[in-house]
Amino acid sequence: MIEIPAHLPHRFPFLLVDRVLEREPGVRVLAEKLVTNGEPYLQGHFEGRPLVPGVLMLEMLAQAGGFLEADSLHGAAIFLAGVQDARFKAPAFPGDRLRLEVCAEGAFAGLMKLRGTVSCEGRELCTAALLVKRL
Amino acid sequence: MSDLKLRVKEMIIERLKLEGMTPDQMDDGAPLFGEGLGLDSIDALELVLGIEQVFGVKIEDEAAGMKAFKSIQALTDFIAEHSKA
Repeated sequence: MIEIPAHLPHRFPFLLVDRVLEREPGVRVLAEKLVTNGEPYLQGHFEGRPLVPGVLMLEMLAQAGGFLEADSLHGAAIFLAGVQDARFKAPAFPGDRLRLEVCAEGAFAGLMKLRGTVSCEGRELCTAALLVKRL
Repeated sequence: MSDLKLRVKEMIIERLKLEGMTPDQMDDGAPLFGEGLGLDSIDALELVLGIEQVFGVKIEDEAAGMKAFKSIQALTDFIAEHSKA
């Protein structure tokens, strides 16, 4: 199984992928994020009613997308270049086991397009297309 | 306007959401990037994906892209040439 900190440069409190379950570089990644009450952003989003910010679900998909790259991203410069057709269908709460599925749709000139879905217990919470740029 | 060129223009308008633009407003000879339609690198990727999906033609690398994206005429010619498999 892939060693997450060895592959992604992200760290607490911004590492948003806990496990990589399936991985075919350049094609598809299936990863997981377990949402706990200890997540720093839940303290204020919102007081007394914690739910995962939608933009962080996009970030989870982007980080999961990092595992489409065959090699470790340490030292590599990969940036989010665009988000298209983002839909937030239902919120994610503490205790949720989020399934992050990302598929590569195509690439051209250092730019890659990904399709991602965040789901929980078979229910889609968020879908989006992400564009990532490798410099 | 040839049928293929019209389909190419329609694909560009749809894929890049160039709302309000019609095929006959698009200059066949104008460059797609920079001046002309003024597209950027994300638009280029969208076009590469659209061309593959609609016409079954792959633009493999930047060299092929440079050639194909010179103008709408060049793109139409590129698709015509490569779809004759």
